[in-house]
Amino acid sequence: MLTYTLRRLLYMLITLWIIVTVTFFLMKLLPGDPFGDAITRLPPESMAILKAQYGLDNPVWEQYLKYIGHVAQGDLGVSYQYPTRSVVSVIKTAMPASIELGIESMIIAIIVGLILGIVAALKHNKAGDYTASMIALIGISIPSFVIGPLLSYFVGVKLRLLPPGLWLGPEYRVLPAVALSLSTIAILTRMMRASMLDVMNQDYIKTAKSKGLSTANIVDKHMIRNAILPVVTILGPIAVNVLTGTLVVERIFSVPGLGNQFVTSVYSNDYTMITGLTLFYAGVLVVMMFFTDIAYSFIDPRIRLGKGK
Amino acid sequence: MEVISKEQFQPAQKTTSAEAIVRPSLNYWADAWRRLRKNKLAMAGLSILIILSLFAIFAPLFSSQHYATQHLKQVNMKPSGEYFFGTDKFGRDMWVRVWWGTRISLFIGLVAAALDLVVGVLYGGISAYFGGKVDAFMQRFIEIIYSIPYLLMAILLIMVLGSGVTSIILAYAITGWVTMARLVRGQMLVLKEQEFVLAARSLGAKPWRIILKHLIPNVLGVVVVQITFVVPTAIFVESFLSFIGLGIKPPLASLGNLLSDGATNMRYQPHTLLFPTMVFSLILLSFNLLGDGLRDALDPKMRK
Amino acid sequence: MSTPILEVNNLQVSFKMFAGEVQAVRGVSFTLNKGEVLAIVGESGCGKSVTAQTIMRLVPTPPSYIKGGTAVFDGKHEITTMKESEMQKIRGEEMGMIFQDPMTSLNPTMTVGEQIVEGIRKHQGGSRLKARNRAIELLSMVGMSNPAERLRQYPHQLSGGMRQRVMIAIALACNPKLLIADEPTTALDVTIQAQIMELLQQIQEQTGTSIILITHDLGVVAEMAHRIIVMYAGKVVEEGNVNEIFYDSKHPYTWGLLRSVPRLDSDAHSELASIPGTPPDLFAPPKGCAFAARCPYAMEVCLNKDPEHFRVSDSHSAACWLLHPDAPKVERPVEVGGRTHG
Repeated sequence: MLTYTLRRLLYMLITLWIIVTVTFFLMKLLPGDPFGDAITRLPPESMAILKAQYGLDNPVWEQYLKYIGHVAQGDLGVSYQYPTRSVVSVIKTAMPASIELGIESMIIAIIVGLILGIVAALKHNKAGDYTASMIALIGISIPSFVIGPLLSYFVGVKLRLLPPGLWLGPEYRVLPAVALSLSTIAILTRMMRASMLDVMNQDYIKTAKSKGLSTANIVDKHMIRNAILPVVTILGPIAVNVLTGTLVVERIFSVPGLGNQFVTSVYSNDYTMITGLTLFYAGVLVVMMFFTDIAYSFIDPRIRLGKGK
Repeated sequence: MEVISKEQFQPAQKTTSAEAIVRPSLNYWADAWRRLRKNKLAMAGLSILIILSLFAIFAPLFSSQHYATQHLKQVNMKPSGEYFFGTDKFGRDMWVRVWWGTRISLFIGLVAAALDLVVGVLYGGISAYFGGKVDAFMQRFIEIIYSIPYLLMAILLIMVLGSGVTSIILAYAITGWVTMARLVRGQMLVLKEQEFVLAARSLGAKPWRIILKHLIPNVLGVVVVQITFVVPTAIFVESFLSFIGLGIKPPLASLGNLLSDGATNMRYQPHTLLFPTMVFSLILLSFNLLGDGLRDALDPKMRK
Repeated sequence: MSTPILEVNNLQVSFKMFAGEVQAVRGVSFTLNKGEVLAIVGESGCGKSVTAQTIMRLVPTPPSYIKGGTAVFDGKHEITTMKESEMQKIRGEEMGMIFQDPMTSLNPTMTVGEQIVEGIRKHQGGSRLKARNRAIELLSMVGMSNPAERLRQYPHQLSGGMRQRVMIAIALACNPKLLIADEPTTALDVTIQAQIMELLQQIQEQTGTSIILITHDLGVVAEMAHRIIVMYAGKVVEEGNVNEIFYDSKHPYTWGLLRSVPRLDSDAHSELASIPGTPPDLFAPPKGCAFAARCPYAMEVCLNKDPEHFRVSDSHSAACWLLHPDAPKVERPVEVGGRTHG
């Protein structure tokens, strides 16, 4: 168990290192001057000072080492968009909204997705299954940047049930969280359904039945408990899904979060901001994947207690 | 008791062999096809995909309009006999743009899937075939690539390469092959231990021959299913990139930029969102239905 | 006079596949008395497991359904028409089942203790502690050392033989009147097989429960079974007590099965025989005797008419046209106990 954790930790560090390296070299390859169009009008002397300030005159490997050093200390550079603010300070301001939105949509997705998956499996090839599977397919087929504006327009503008955008009181959370959760619901429903169907065909379910346990008891203690295990392994990819979803949903609902910031930076070619945010996102995800793996090994006794003979 | 004539107790003339097989034997693919045909949803998906592809290929050819031609006097027209899907804010014909966009999006999806296939199958195959240290190393590498969020990498890559069909395909393929490689490796490891591979090996067949002639045909099932999920994912990635401004640039149309424009103008020009969404969702839905059906049809456990 | 615990009459079970109907059990009848051990023997796919699982109504419906016949348990429960909720009261309480593969029959994420206790608590209620004590008692009964510690272990921490002992403990938890063992030793090593059979026999003697023992291996049942049913292609082809089946069997299929059992008293040079051919497809069963295609003695009648059971003695019957008065006399092959001439 300890070696497993340590090995995972090592992988995590290697992954982070690769991401930083790739990001650095991609940045070097960016077309034109890394300072973009905004400052090309500066006199050459000022450019030289700026370049020296950012260390752009040094050999590439030196810049690389320096860059790694900065990143390791949590320094992601200065935003070109807001020259007075560091990338980290922008992240700090924008992060709370994103985290809240992400967590809320995850909670919705997990509850709804698991329930739909379980219902679909228990009603296999019946109306319940078709309904749940259809909801899941719709969640996969219609992108959030279509559903988002539709929700915002119909629920927010036409029906005036909920605010169509912005991020003020609790009622402002509902629509973005729902829009963000749809594709995750779809993934979880399909995964849980497949996992349940797999478990339902296992021999130990027959054993449980042969003990005379009630159907509810078998579903609860034997099926769901086992079916949920493999679903835990996709929490990492699901986090990726939610995170990339925030780029879209925050934009649509004008949520002042990281995703919105990211898209703004893309539109204004703010390269340090983009690379900084990418690194930050990647870091968050890699760390989350690490914890998912560790969590999984804790809940599955087969891994926790080592494989039998 | 009923009387039975004495002749009945003569030794039987056995005409049928004891080994006679009652059911017609079908090969793997014929059997899978038979099961797939019974799956109405999957067949619906397949039919829709064929129809949409035909439209994507032929509709722009048979239209007098070009996807980039602007009719500035006829902007934001509602659907009519002249413009089936109406026109956009530059007066471009939406009918041609939607089908042209479908063409581009399908192209991106299919090429991405093809790249995925080649890299994934080779990587997974080599890893599983050689096993041992090679496999261990290649698996570690995969684990690392797998934990890199691919959309973020795609964004960085596109910023370097500039947006366009090629960069989007490359951006997807550079990280997308990992799942394919994992699946292929898993399937190969199972097959590798089976007798027919051992037989081929003991007859002195070369590794490459075994991989190409014996293993790959048997892995094809998993691969085909995976492809039906890769194509829509790549199409989805394109639309996502379009939304954040890194996708296909107008005037060239893709489903992604049509959707993203449509979503912006939805309140006043709902038709600019409606038609691209319909086509986009039908493509994704159909691929998923077909993929689910194929998975069921190709699963040997389902062979009954 | 022995009282029957289970009377199965003309039981028919089919599976609905999209290709059509597979007739897995095609009219099986037998009676099991209290305290009796009945073995059901046959090749894989002959319908023996489906028969057994139908008695506990464990075959999933759909695709399976009971096409006809009756199965009366304990003189009062008509199993084929019982509701699921009523079945749940009987399962585990009055009948228990042991499955073939102990590797997959135990829930991998629950401790052994929880898995034994849940059945006890369902049927007998009572405190957790009481149920736990009963579980410890059961584990020592099935010959496991340190039972209290074993309760806290997960299945993957136990060997195959140990897991099968746990399965037996689960099946015995509420002192069932009927124990069904579906190939209980097939998945185990040979040495463990003997231990498990010994354990089952010992338990039968201690508790006096009735046992249905399902196996494809006649050798396994010789010591333990009182009576044997031989099944082929969804039907009973021969039925009799152990001596009748081993020393005076009448059906060529039984001879084939016997020939495939290694025997100590057989000639060292004789080879173990197998029955050539494969069982018929139950998707389209033949109109005559199902075994005719593989039977070396097949007659015209065998291909055209399915034989009725011919009575050999009170306890012994076989479904074979060779027993018809008009049929040519066929000597039992020597190696399955036929008389030597001379």
